[in-house]
Amino acid sequence: MPIIPAVTVTSRDLDAYRRDEKFGHQLMTPEERIRLLKPYLPSPPPPRSSQRAQAQAQLEKKQRLGVRRALKSLLHRFVYFIIHAFFSVYLRFRQAYHAVTNLIYSIYYYHHRTPELIQRDVKGLSRLPRHLSVILHLEDNGRGGAGLERLVNEAADIAAWCASAGIPELSIYEKTGILKGYIPETHRAVSHKLAAYFGRDFPALSLKAPHIPAVVSVRAPGRGDGTEPKSLSVLLLSAEDGRDSIVDLTKTLAEMSQRSKIRSADITIELVNAELSESVMGEPDLLILFGPHVELDGYPPWQVRLTEIYHVPDNQGVGYQVFYRGLRNFAKAQMRLGR
Amino acid sequence: MSDLYLSRTRNWFLSNPLAEWLIIGLRETLIGALSQGPIPRHVAFEMDGNRRYARSHKIETIEGHHLGFEALARVLEICYKCGVKVVTVYAFSIENFNRPKYEVDGLMQLAKLKLEQLIQHGELLERYGASVRVLGQRDLMSADVLEVVDRAVETTKHNEQCILNICFPYTSREEMTTAVRSTVAEYSTTPRPHSTPFSQSRITQKIMSKQEDKWEALASIRESSPSPSPPSSRSDDIEDSLSSSATLHPDSVEIPNVTIYPNAENITAETIEGHLYTAGCPPLDIFVRTSGVERLSDFMLWQGHQGAQIFFLKCFWPEFDLWHFLPVLVEWQRRQKQKERDERPKRIKQA
Repeated sequence: MPIIPAVTVTSRDLDAYRRDEKFGHQLMTPEERIRLLKPYLPSPPPPRSSQRAQAQAQLEKKQRLGVRRALKSLLHRFVYFIIHAFFSVYLRFRQAYHAVTNLIYSIYYYHHRTPELIQRDVKGLSRLPRHLSVILHLEDNGRGGAGLERLVNEAADIAAWCASAGIPELSIYEKTGILKGYIPETHRAVSHKLAAYFGRDFPALSLKAPHIPAVVSVRAPGRGDGTEPKSLSVLLLSAEDGRDSIVDLTKTLAEMSQRSKIRSADITIELVNAELSESVMGEPDLLILFGPHVELDGYPPWQVRLTEIYHVPDNQGVGYQVFYRGLRNFAKAQMRLGR
Repeated sequence: MSDLYLSRTRNWFLSNPLAEWLIIGLRETLIGALSQGPIPRHVAFEMDGNRRYARSHKIETIEGHHLGFEALARVLEICYKCGVKVVTVYAFSIENFNRPKYEVDGLMQLAKLKLEQLIQHGELLERYGASVRVLGQRDLMSADVLEVVDRAVETTKHNEQCILNICFPYTSREEMTTAVRSTVAEYSTTPRPHSTPFSQSRITQKIMSKQEDKWEALASIRESSPSPSPPSSRSDDIEDSLSSSATLHPDSVEIPNVTIYPNAENITAETIEGHLYTAGCPPLDIFVRTSGVERLSDFMLWQGHQGAQIFFLKCFWPEFDLWHFLPVLVEWQRRQKQKERDERPKRIKQA
């Protein structure tokens, strides 16, 4: 990029540039500015024209610089390995540090399957997300059953924490969508978990996936002791609720437009948003990743616009401490939206 | 007083020729070394924190934006020297129009000034082989800015080595909606009837007459087997589906003045992708957001939600330099090599 201090600019030239900028670029003529930058530019690209003399000169230059260039590339390879060696040492230390912090957190904050403890943890937070979203991974090493069972367990745990903390909406994203095939089973597992946390009076649970009707738990009517009935709705998402849902919407709109039912000018952000939040889900407030780094893995793109994304670096696996730290981080974050 | 003046002693020390020579040499070596490994093809930067930087250093907001621009230049140079093909930067969000007017005007003027200079030094961009593209809602730009933007895009469009995408007034939802809208528009315009010396009706008649003698035999089979016509569940579709069924059944009676649209079922994610502002760019590899905010904020949603690795950095954008970018790049290279290693045994298993 020209006209601007290059990466390797000396401070004298940078000063000259900034002084010029301060006076609205009146001090220097374009030619002077170019001269300022000349030494920092890469060599010009090889000439495309077939001027033989030029090519000859290039060739001679190449031969003269051959040894130097070979040495240089050797140096670069060497430095590359040095960097990566240092980085892997640094990474070990970082992972160890994060593992220790995570361990301390997990000892300090543990749910003990008691909703009251979770409630005590979240009481100090200034706000809670209304809609929490998590990304889970199916760990499948060729044995389908174990991975699925783990996934259901993790989903049930998170649902129980949400119900205890008072978060009414939870969406669980898992790329392959395997859970969608086991909705009644998952519903039973989550209900069992809720019963283990809350005892007999556990909150009502509705479990659904886009385009699949909800499974709602039948629940004894409230005992009328003044406590409002708690409820939790869980939504299962998979990769097909991301791009594919937008593609499907486009297909429908194209068909409608072919029959002159809408004009293409009618397609606005509001329309697309209304349709997608109706058929998939609205915008979650907080997205918690339980992986070691941030990668969305096909999570619905339209809905993730302003969602706060939380992850614990180098963390591996679902844990209550990650969940709690995510909530705490969310309470601290401020929304500005362009301002 | 701004505390940027307080670091004078350090600057004085760093500006002596020997230190400068060493630092320059070190940076060049590091950049050269990084390009030995795998290199991302497409990097996106959300340049956040110019104003907070200005506030925390007690300088004018617009000064912060100027420093942010210098940081952008540094980053671009690193990227292009490493061999990154496409760099996408978020310069101005549609939401940013909510900011105070003097700041919006200042930013517009800054963009205009820099692009004007870019045009003046056309051959400098040629050295990098970089072409500039401006992505966003054009009708929100004022006429004078738009004119400069068009000229800048025009003067650099023959450079093919790398691309700088400037997102300016941009939001990702607007981009996706525009892509959906233009896909719909493409699929609801009739392709021009191409003139051929062959008449479709004649061909149909030929087939009909040839099949005539087989017809009786076929009819009895058809009655027993389920009807081959496509099931049309919605009743109001029948009238409209004639147009599509005409394409499906060459032996059906041709209706005059029927418009044949491309089949909407052929729309795929790639079709929509082709209508995005970033059409033709390689998939996004690295997404960097500075200033510690952990949101995507309506930037590169479609491009960034699959396969891209997202990095949220604590530093403000004007501070961003090789020393911040280096760990990001090295970590990405490591994960990339890890992925390759993971995929290799799978391939062996398959073979």
